[in-house]
Amino acid sequence: MDKKTVTTISYLSRLKIDSEKEQKIVKDLDNIIKFVDQLNDVDTSSIEPLTNPLEKTAKTRKDEVTAKNLKKELLEVAPSANEDYFLVPRVVE
Amino acid sequence: MTVKYKTIKEIKQMISQKEISNKEIIEEVYKLIDENSHLNAFITLNKDRSIKKAEDLDNNPSDSSLAGIPIAQKDLFCTKGIRTTCGSKILDNFIPPYSATVIENLENAGCISVGKTNMDEFAMGSSNETSFFGNVHNPWGEKLVPGGSSGGSASAVAAGIVPAASGTDTGGSIRQPASLCGITGIKPTYGRVSRWGMIAFASSLDQAGPMARTAEDCALLLNEMCSHDVKDTTSLDENIPNFEDSINESLKGKKVGVVSDLDLSSLDNDVIGVYENSLQEFVSLGAELVDISLPNLSLSVPTYYVVAPAECSSNLSRFDGVKFGRRSENPKDLEELYVQTRSEGFGDEVKRRILIGSYVLSAGYYDAYYKKAQQVRRLIKKDFDEAFSDVDVIMTPTTRGPAFEIGSKGSDPIQMYLEDLFTISANLAGLPAMSLPNGNIDNKPIGLQIIGNFLDESTILNFGHMYQRKTNWHMFTPEGVKQ
Repeated sequence: MDKKTVTTISYLSRLKIDSEKEQKIVKDLDNIIKFVDQLNDVDTSSIEPLTNPLEKTAKTRKDEVTAKNLKKELLEVAPSANEDYFLVPRVVE
Repeated sequence: MTVKYKTIKEIKQMISQKEISNKEIIEEVYKLIDENSHLNAFITLNKDRSIKKAEDLDNNPSDSSLAGIPIAQKDLFCTKGIRTTCGSKILDNFIPPYSATVIENLENAGCISVGKTNMDEFAMGSSNETSFFGNVHNPWGEKLVPGGSSGGSASAVAAGIVPAASGTDTGGSIRQPASLCGITGIKPTYGRVSRWGMIAFASSLDQAGPMARTAEDCALLLNEMCSHDVKDTTSLDENIPNFEDSINESLKGKKVGVVSDLDLSSLDNDVIGVYENSLQEFVSLGAELVDISLPNLSLSVPTYYVVAPAECSSNLSRFDGVKFGRRSENPKDLEELYVQTRSEGFGDEVKRRILIGSYVLSAGYYDAYYKKAQQVRRLIKKDFDEAFSDVDVIMTPTTRGPAFEIGSKGSDPIQMYLEDLFTISANLAGLPAMSLPNGNIDNKPIGLQIIGNFLDESTILNFGHMYQRKTNWHMFTPEGVKQ
């Protein structure tokens, strides 16, 4: 973990790191990664990953509309919206 | 007549005997919230609607199981028309247009949601020090943390303001604050309670559950919180028993797993003494202690700190300032809107976990970290599967000690992560687990953890209730032992 890696992952995370906090973040992340590195000592060669404790296939349900259309209510809580859409700064000039 | 420090069971009785009106109960709750404002347990109150609901109940009494019971809701559950912040600046203006299924279930059973409780930001923390809305204080000592992330809920119940609160538990966020505040809380089996409308942190670990004064009250709440919900694909479609039915069963011949490879060396002798005394209480109740082995238990914290940040970095990508919540002012383009909104809106701990998640999921590291952690997760689950072929429950201390002082864990995040040493494995394995008060050290409560087999909340509630029939640790309050 170094400054360059932190710059890359902060870009991937869409986070800007304040320059005065950068050193501490590099150190914290380095310590955390070193801490989780102990997992490498475990032999997992024939072990299937466990992604979810249920390990059941999600049940399908009938394709029926059950939820009410909340378009108006959802647009109302948006930071910026018109009658039909969320608004963001212009993307195409 | 007062409802302070009363259990749900006691308040139900007071209502049915007409010793107190529903409105009087709710008015007293708001008086208690006011008197305890220094605890900073609540972020948003729901006063007018709650009083109206209580008046309606006085005019038209209901026989719903929890009619009129005041409850504090963790501010992680969406509540229709009531601000829901998740303890974060990024959601400080968010008013959801719908309620979480678990909130609807509780309210349909008659509960009155009096307010939203403070919490670690996005449930990431074990001391309630990461909330944008400030620290929560422990009623057992103003300088003490209440634990986290459900710190406001635990503090409100422990101070006797409300008999019940909702919590969520991703790595111990119900059980650890329950232990540090001297109350009872249970994290159900993964999938028992719908996650719909719960703001997601780590989707394969998150589970909601009740926090209350007794195991019996937890059973009453759990009866209403559990449901099969088609809106949550991980919601279990399994029989939901009446959790009250078996709480009085004898423990004679039942087997308690005691983890032989549990490293207690970092614990104070007092903590070990309290734990061992409780095991003997269960022996005197007829249970048998059985040594079991969970060889991969010590790997649960590092496993968690790969899996949880990975899921968190993915889940929290939805907070981008476009559809809801706070947006940064005057961004020059869309990219800057995302980056500024997130950089201004998230606190340091949340940012740290998002960064770790992005790292372990990024190309070149995925197999080394994320896949590896999921493989170790299976080993941890296998250990539990084998242990539960021999025993009915497994017991450990809930926490490494009683409540610590605000600010005392310093700035090293790993010291805080190790707070959840005993609780995290139940989330990784998806198992139900409860914490209940089992002692006091220097006038600070501490808890015992009882882990149950998959879908077997009934057995841990049975153990908890039988213990509370025999001991009075759950009767201790910051103002003395309840009569």
